[in-house]
Amino acid sequence: MFIKIAIKNICAYRKRSIITVALTAFSTALLIFSSALMTGSHNKMLANAVEVYPGYLQITQKDFRDVPSYDNLIFDVKAMHRKLSSIPGIAAIGARFETFVLFAAENKTVGGMLAGIEPKNENRLSRLAQSLKEGSYLSDGDAAQVYLGVGLAKKLQVKVGDTLAFVGTGADYSFSADILYVKGIFQTGSFDFDNSTAFVNKAYFDDAMAAENYATQIIVLPQNPSKSDALAEQINQQLGTEYQALGWRKSMDGLVEAMELDSVFGYISLAIIFLVIFFVIMIYTLLNIMGRSREIGMMRALGTTPGQVFIMLWMECLILGMLSVFIGGLFGGGLTAYFHFHPIQLSGYEEQFKQYGLMAAALPTVFRPIMIARDILIILTLSLFAAIYPIFKVNRYRPLEAIHHV
Amino acid sequence: MFRVIMKLAWASLSRRRGRSLLVISMIAVCLWGLLSLEGLYDGMIAQMIQNATRSDSGDISIFAKGYRQNNELAELVDSAALDKFLKNDGRILSFSKRIMQSGLVATAHYARNITIYGIDLTEEQKNGRLNNYIVSGEYSFANRSKGAIIGAELASKLSAKIGSKIIISAQNMVNEVSSSALKITGILKTHTVLDKNAVFIDRQKTRDLLMVPRGITQVLVTLKNRNKDIAVIQGDLAGIDGLEVWRWDEIYPALLQSKQMNEKFNLIISFLVFCVAGLGIFGVMSVSVLERMREFGIMLALGTKFSQIGSIIMLEAFLMAIMGFGTGSVFGGATLYYLKQYGLNLAIFSKGLEAFGMDSVMRAVIRPQYFFLALAAVMLAAFVSALLPLRFLQRAKPVSLIQTI
Repeated sequence: MFIKIAIKNICAYRKRSIITVALTAFSTALLIFSSALMTGSHNKMLANAVEVYPGYLQITQKDFRDVPSYDNLIFDVKAMHRKLSSIPGIAAIGARFETFVLFAAENKTVGGMLAGIEPKNENRLSRLAQSLKEGSYLSDGDAAQVYLGVGLAKKLQVKVGDTLAFVGTGADYSFSADILYVKGIFQTGSFDFDNSTAFVNKAYFDDAMAAENYATQIIVLPQNPSKSDALAEQINQQLGTEYQALGWRKSMDGLVEAMELDSVFGYISLAIIFLVIFFVIMIYTLLNIMGRSREIGMMRALGTTPGQVFIMLWMECLILGMLSVFIGGLFGGGLTAYFHFHPIQLSGYEEQFKQYGLMAAALPTVFRPIMIARDILIILTLSLFAAIYPIFKVNRYRPLEAIHHV
Repeated sequence: MFRVIMKLAWASLSRRRGRSLLVISMIAVCLWGLLSLEGLYDGMIAQMIQNATRSDSGDISIFAKGYRQNNELAELVDSAALDKFLKNDGRILSFSKRIMQSGLVATAHYARNITIYGIDLTEEQKNGRLNNYIVSGEYSFANRSKGAIIGAELASKLSAKIGSKIIISAQNMVNEVSSSALKITGILKTHTVLDKNAVFIDRQKTRDLLMVPRGITQVLVTLKNRNKDIAVIQGDLAGIDGLEVWRWDEIYPALLQSKQMNEKFNLIISFLVFCVAGLGIFGVMSVSVLERMREFGIMLALGTKFSQIGSIIMLEAFLMAIMGFGTGSVFGGATLYYLKQYGLNLAIFSKGLEAFGMDSVMRAVIRPQYFFLALAAVMLAAFVSALLPLRFLQRAKPVSLIQTI
């Protein structure tokens, strides 16, 4: 019976109902879309930042992250490979040795990072091969051939086929230098990385830098990248305290925090909009309910209890709220699904993304029904809360008082 | 007459105190939130720009033609006309000169690529207050200029502390590699790229190390009034032979984009909030007019002009808007003042803030235009919200209004 009366009332006060539904539906769609965009764009930026080079899971000697010196290397890469191959959930493994050297071309000398990588394994661990701009990517049989960033190549004024020298310190602290042939040039989009990094085949690097069977880190690609932290925990248990395995959330904690902070500010901004919408829904509900004071007074005089009045009005708000979040959910969900497959292009803001190493000016939304359901529930709760004050206010009147209310 | 209209409008608002207070609260809360957020966001961007201009780019940076493209040590600024301009132009607050070269820093256990900055400490202190960024050690190159000031992140990577020995190597003017051993005298944190890769050493020492007898790589210029003079001075300086003149926003396009993106974001949020708030005022004004149809009908029948009734209704809307604006401005202004004085400590997100080039304590800025624009927006929302009910009233005839129940 209450549902019938509520539906009748909703139809009778059509204007108020339409405005309430429109506002609530708009809020629902806005929240669904905004949170999907924030989560989606952050996921995309993080995935790009992780996949370009750092990798989902890094294993280092326990002190290497704090003191990245040659005293804190992984000194038996083969043994590490053997141990890791017995752990389930790993899709690929690759060793890297990173060091900083002086690169010298014909007229230019600049400092930069020289890293020895296992080209075939690396192909699965990072996007280095996909970032090829000129020439070709490294292969496992390569000797003194270098694959360098577009910015570094520009600084050194070298092209594919040119030569450059490097001078650095070997893993045994000996002096190390050689001539390298430029095999390929890459461009990841990360300004810092492209400006200062060069790669060689690790087998060659080991000879040149006296680093046979050594590595600064081992990169692991989990079968399920979203479970990197759990896998890191499992690896830590297997490897013992001498080594440290870190999932990308911990190894790139600065970027993860930056995204979280961005979300916090995003939600604060949304909260202001919702606060105003909350007030407006409350105002419209109050106007509607107070406008029906005489009718409610009459009902009370005829024996309707305050509880029944409460249920009747609450039911109206619930039906309006449910209708609104359904419409808003459909609209917001539709938008989210569309932009999931057709990411928003933020052309003109590439520099900003590059500066922060984010490498993505195309931002997709994330389409997850569970997130949509969560946002719908938030708005429904808000809209029901907005009705509490007006309902209690009208219920406080005595029947006679309500009948005479103007 | 205005007093009567004012009295009637006030009486009407007082009669429906609950709903009037609700509208006033709505405006106040949304203004409080918007003002606080706008000041904080602008403060964040201003902080990033200030860090970049003070430590790295100045308001204007001057290089030799081609240097930004090639980064060649041979491309140096050495112009008497420039020196004369910098010393004599009244719009210039201060300037400093740097010699820069890419190189490598090494400790006993680790090496890293760096940029060597040959600076004059007094000039840098005067121009960008570089001394304020020192977080450890002192702002000095010690006796015989054997010291170096390095970026905090670089120091951390090198595991170097005050007094640690470092060796810097770089290509000199005759294309050979020169090296020098130095002791760290200071560590600075600017929240810019300098933290990662800067080694500051004495400018004369840099000349000796890199065999640069004269000329400099970069001149950082700080202006007395950046917004007003930057474009004109850039043009004036570009007229001097052999120079390339860059504004801070050309050197840091990402910061300019952040600023623009922030302005657009604030505009969208404010637009949405004021549209919704306007809808709230509209609801109250519509009901207020509809409830008093008979009252207005009688007034019209007794000879009251429609413009006078219109004034009452408009005044009601404006009174609510002004009271909401006043309350919101007081709370918003107080919050901004607090955030300007004491800042918002977000140390919990310090690593994330560093990734964006920000300090962990964020300070808000207070700009008069926040309040003027908010007042204009609130008044506009109130005006538009009252317009529709008024039009409805205007179309009705006094007799039909009197018959309204």
